[in-house]
Amino acid sequence: MKRQKFHPRLFNRGRTWTILLVALALAATLCLQPLFGSPPVQGYDSLRLLSEALFEISNKYVHQRSEEEMMDGATRGMMSSLDPDSSFLSPQEYKDFRAGKKGQVAEAGVELIFKDHMLTVASALEDGPAFRAGLRQGDHILKINGQLVRNLTNQEAARRFQGPPNSSVKLQVLRNGLVKPLDLSVTLEPLAGLSVTSQMLGDSMAYLRIRYFNDDTHRDLAAAIKALQRPPAQLQGVVLDLRNNARGILGQGVRSASVWLGDKQIITTKGRIPETNKTYQGKVQDLAWKTPVPVVVLIDVGTARAAEVMAAALKDQAGAALLGEKSQGLCGLTRLQPLEDGSALVMTVAQCYTAKGQKIQGKGLEPDVPGKKAAAPSATSKETPKSLPPDQDLWVIQALEILKSGGKPPKLAQKGES
Amino acid sequence: MNNLRKYWYIATLVMVMALLLGRYLSLNSVAAQTESPLFPGSEPPPTPHPIKGPALTALAPAADAKLRVFAQALALVEEQYAEPKPVKDLVYGAIQGVVSTLDPHSSFMNPEEFRELQIETKGKFSGIGIEITMKDRILMVVSPIEGTPAYQAGLLAGDQILKINDQSTKNMTLTEAVRMIRGPKGSKVTLTINREGFPQPRDFFIVREIIPIRSVRARVLDGGIGYIRLSTFQDQTDNDLRAMLKKMQQRLSPFKGLILDLRNDPGGLLDQAVRVADEFLASGLIVYTEGRNPQQNMRFYARPGHKSENVSVPLVVLINEGSASASEIVAGALKDQKRALIMGSKSFGKGSVQTIIPLEDGSALRLTTALYYTPSGQVINEKGIIPDVVVEEKQPSPDKTLQTLRDEALAKHMKKEGLTDKAWDRPITTAELDQDLQLKRAVEALRSWPPKGLAKQPKK
Repeated sequence: MKRQKFHPRLFNRGRTWTILLVALALAATLCLQPLFGSPPVQGYDSLRLLSEALFEISNKYVHQRSEEEMMDGATRGMMSSLDPDSSFLSPQEYKDFRAGKKGQVAEAGVELIFKDHMLTVASALEDGPAFRAGLRQGDHILKINGQLVRNLTNQEAARRFQGPPNSSVKLQVLRNGLVKPLDLSVTLEPLAGLSVTSQMLGDSMAYLRIRYFNDDTHRDLAAAIKALQRPPAQLQGVVLDLRNNARGILGQGVRSASVWLGDKQIITTKGRIPETNKTYQGKVQDLAWKTPVPVVVLIDVGTARAAEVMAAALKDQAGAALLGEKSQGLCGLTRLQPLEDGSALVMTVAQCYTAKGQKIQGKGLEPDVPGKKAAAPSATSKETPKSLPPDQDLWVIQALEILKSGGKPPKLAQKGES
Repeated sequence: MNNLRKYWYIATLVMVMALLLGRYLSLNSVAAQTESPLFPGSEPPPTPHPIKGPALTALAPAADAKLRVFAQALALVEEQYAEPKPVKDLVYGAIQGVVSTLDPHSSFMNPEEFRELQIETKGKFSGIGIEITMKDRILMVVSPIEGTPAYQAGLLAGDQILKINDQSTKNMTLTEAVRMIRGPKGSKVTLTINREGFPQPRDFFIVREIIPIRSVRARVLDGGIGYIRLSTFQDQTDNDLRAMLKKMQQRLSPFKGLILDLRNDPGGLLDQAVRVADEFLASGLIVYTEGRNPQQNMRFYARPGHKSENVSVPLVVLINEGSASASEIVAGALKDQKRALIMGSKSFGKGSVQTIIPLEDGSALRLTTALYYTPSGQVINEKGIIPDVVVEEKQPSPDKTLQTLRDEALAKHMKKEGLTDKAWDRPITTAELDQDLQLKRAVEALRSWPPKGLAKQPKK
């Protein structure tokens, strides 16, 4: 006689979601309370919202969806909403990720992040396979080998850009400003080319380029710097090019900055786990410069992670002027946390702060001197992007002018603090 | 009912206990343990479908494991993520993640996004009546809409908006600017305008009013042919269309044919699609929907009885790959009922029904709940509507960027060169027709009516 208005089966289902989530919230809260204190106050309400959404979907969506799939999506969505470096790996992905770590021989030379739910190229290694195929920083990848990029983590995506030498990856790419997606084919190759190159520009200026960071970069950098100081060189300034460089972890950035700065303070990380609060200091024996030389650092939207650490440290501790455009703002420590069912979380547990206390993560570094815009930054389709030799590069020329006029950016140096 | 609540309460507690003890009890066993004491003796279950095991077994053990993983992840993020995050944001992220396992047309809107959407689909909002754009980081008036406060205040196309209410627009996004200009009816907004010929920027004080969004634009052609373009389907579209048709019937005598241009019309409200198709149909099915949930199965018919008002002139409908959703419903109905000749290129193929489901905190889900079928049973989704006569449009050269296309369109617009930027009753010239091959072919078809493909009468 007590008939309900709702369809009973559906009703039960909704209640199931609610009950389970509430139970889990309580469990999570209670479990953690003795350890950490401060239970989430509005957690209950927020979780009710999730269960409401799950109920509506399982009830009304045009196709049947399994609860596992939805819950997987929930965990993944929560992790990716944190920042571009945080993600959720399913058991299979975690397994693949561990296998992939052992090293595939060939790769495309790209760094990938998720930005606004789109797989985005954080940087494409100069003259690397992807770069030569026409892929650029900022490109959104729609399809990999004909498969739509959805529900992918960046670790998983990165894995698809690795493989045996000479195998190829077909991409469909959306570029800002372009009407139609581009089809590109990238042939994978072993990572080649030096991470550090240098050359003299004229008699007294040097150009140093770090294309990516790895465990050898600080040694290569030290060697390059020492070579530049060899007589009869009369070095008066250096342009350090950190553009389009999103590869490299915090430690590698610290090590390389130490080559430049010696035992100065380089970067600080702050997080909520006590051991992640740390100030990184350089080592005096790492220092490669005999006398300090004025430096202008080139940064752009492809500058991230280790490159941001180095740029920030050089600005704060060596008075370097940053020239170009705002950097990406990806500077944190991530931690891999396996979960009970074989899946894993990749989570940012600490964020970088410059020696002057500015947060880099999510904000990027502002240039002291904005780089001059090229006449027409054409996004045209098939044309392979070519890197200009440094002496024809607009920003390098601009940097040289600053160095020649005494190494300080005209007027703009004061505004940094705002 | 009381019993029921108690049941759930205890079930919850048991589960919490189970989790606290770290014992991975399967849900089935939880249900089994709590069932008997709650329904003692022969008391009948409260509903025809008894709530017992099935309620909780609705979740498979695998899903239960995933739920635990989610809870574990949530707890870890709450405690260890680099900085504290409001639980609400995490939950929004989670819902977003669930929705992204669905189809691309399903989405989640946070409360702010949901409010924006409500404004857009209402077909009117209070503002001052300008279309604005950002060009070289300068906020610019594209065009003031005729008859609106902005128009009366004397704003012109090409005016640069330097400040809104004394706030510089330099680092504003377009959306922020739109939000600042909009506001409640009767309130005031001050725009600081720079214009060629002004010795210095000038302030314009403008009182906001309700601004109707125009979705119907029209022109006429020599020889009694009308041209109507629908840019979207919103609240006012059917009324505006009817009014325009009436004006055309008066202006064009004889009224010999009509071109309904649905190119690049991304669609909008379903009921508007039905009403627009209904304008041209005396009877018969327009569209039907089928979903997993029987509540989503609906059939929409043309209303008989206002036949005198129906437009019975020969009709050509133009579509292209930018015609989606509501546009495809209209084209599909008119095609299947053989009421119109469909010309152009294959349409987009977005034949799914999205239902907006508001959630309790003001956010909302946009959920695909059903698929559309044309009267003859063709599914629109992913297939699109194939024109009776395929006329490809001139492709923009592949290396043209969206920005250059937009700039060109804007430049055209500012010079009032767009087809519908001129007064509706000014006939379209041959020169204008030469710019638009698809339209040109449509006109030719109407002038040599009836076309071969459309000679038969619709079957009942």
